[in-house]
Amino acid sequence: MDYKAPVEAYTGVVREVAIGKGNKSLKIGGENILPLHFFDQGSNPNPVKFALEVLDMKPEDWPEHAVEPFKDVIANSVSWAKKCQGAGVDAVSLFLMSTDPAVKDAPADKAATLAKEVAEAIAVPLIVYGSGDEKKDVEVLSKVAEVCDGMNLLIGPVLKENYEAVGKAILNHGHTAIAQSPLDINLLKELNVKLSKIFPPDRIVIDPLSSALGYGMEYSFSLIERVKQIGIMTKDSMTMMPIIANLGGECWKTKQAKENKKQGLLWEGVTALSLLLAGANIIVLRHPETLKLIKETIEAR
Amino acid sequence: MVIIGENIHVIAKAVSVAIRERDAKVIRDLAKAQTEAGANYIDLNVGPMKKDTEETMQWLVNTVQEVTDLPLSIDTMNPVAMEAGLKHCKKRPLLNSASGKTDSKQNMLPLAKKYNCAVVVSVMTDKGMPPDADSKIESIMDTVAYANELGIPNEDIWVDPIILPVSTAGEGQRFAVTNLEFIKILEDVLPGVKSTVGLSNVSNGVPEQLRPLLNRTYLMMLGRDGLYSAIADPLDKELMSLAKGEMPKITELIHKAMDKEDIDLSALAQKEIEYVKTARVLMGETLYSDAWLES
Repeated sequence: MDYKAPVEAYTGVVREVAIGKGNKSLKIGGENILPLHFFDQGSNPNPVKFALEVLDMKPEDWPEHAVEPFKDVIANSVSWAKKCQGAGVDAVSLFLMSTDPAVKDAPADKAATLAKEVAEAIAVPLIVYGSGDEKKDVEVLSKVAEVCDGMNLLIGPVLKENYEAVGKAILNHGHTAIAQSPLDINLLKELNVKLSKIFPPDRIVIDPLSSALGYGMEYSFSLIERVKQIGIMTKDSMTMMPIIANLGGECWKTKQAKENKKQGLLWEGVTALSLLLAGANIIVLRHPETLKLIKETIEAR
Repeated sequence: MVIIGENIHVIAKAVSVAIRERDAKVIRDLAKAQTEAGANYIDLNVGPMKKDTEETMQWLVNTVQEVTDLPLSIDTMNPVAMEAGLKHCKKRPLLNSASGKTDSKQNMLPLAKKYNCAVVVSVMTDKGMPPDADSKIESIMDTVAYANELGIPNEDIWVDPIILPVSTAGEGQRFAVTNLEFIKILEDVLPGVKSTVGLSNVSNGVPEQLRPLLNRTYLMMLGRDGLYSAIADPLDKELMSLAKGEMPKITELIHKAMDKEDIDLSALAQKEIEYVKTARVLMGETLYSDAWLES
């Protein structure tokens, strides 16, 4: 008797979210199968995308081997972002670290002007992360949204504590939001439910927090996996958003990554590959050689 | 449904202060209110009660018995406090609780025999909490067999599958479903044993104003599957009406949600919608979030 492998057809579809405008536009999500389940009925129209980090200030605690690829441009975010393009990125992720009250408390308008300069200087879409300070980010991210009006940047983190104010600014100026919650699927859903009341769900990207290998990566893995399962298999509308895995910073602050370059690349690479297998749609890395390594792995070169 | 009134418990600051300072009025008022609200037992959750155990338990039991004729449920993990409470009870009390842990089997269960009272036995073992319905059944069968050997008949054993907060990421919802299964098969595997749950734990960690809805819905769901009793809040009027079968329409909707029937929410009143959504969360159909009523 012929054996016929069972084929699953799920009813949920991850929303396809576009970031950037015009010829800088990029689509993420849109899949109606679980990660790599190409044997099931359905497809993943937008394979995983990659971004590299750019900081708005000279990094203070990066090991020499992480600074090395950008050492000639590290003091200038615009040149740094341009240089990332040489590594074949799909997007650039600008981190407004200097606005953190605990770092330099740099003013919002300065950060917003920089975001615009970077966005205009590159040929790929821009992701902008605030410092994560829930109060200061209201000011900073609102200003970024306003100054970059209509450019459809991917802006976050939008948190439970500030989603109303930040969400409104992102929406009014035509951008896309990163909804971030602290490694908990119930809180993740709650934020999406609340944000969706004032913000279109097809312009939300989930940041579940991505921990590094050896520092809780398995929590991020199961969480991302579960978000996908609940969205695609049980069609929960509030988890059917694409996922951003912002893991570069987490990986490079580990002792192991700081110790030597090879270990750092592998640490970041294994974390990225794992979260990609769990279902992440866009991954933010720090080192261009990690990006190369991952792309080679995916293409089985 | 037998309701064991939960309101005298030391986690409530007013109660722990009242016990420490021998403020009889606070305790009497709580006992009276629960009696008038229709509770069938009054639970005295005294915690570990390590200090002045004998004297405190005597005072507490007598204080409550001054204002109510209801039987008491003595709720402590400390066998010394348990015995001190049991021996002053006028009505046949409930020992709350023993478990499958060696220590509990050796020190608590014999007290149930000695004082000829009913006993709550949880599924907990030395290895911790059994993870699914089958292993809960396995654990409870062992403990019930042990109790039977001591001379405690099935009719005096109230089995507690242990409820976890539904808001605990992932596991809470799975446990809610597991416990429904457990209650359903219990009567088949251990004929004659009764069942009980610490109901309010299902809503632990949930915003205060939303807790009663989870408690009420889950009580009705467990009740449909044969739950005999619950340690719950008798001062929640709606919970008591539901338990007494005074809200048939809501009960029917909860049952429909349990059967995964299609329900046209647009034809329902707000309150009915809330019950349906809550039942779906407890069935594991919808992923829990604190905003479960809003989506």
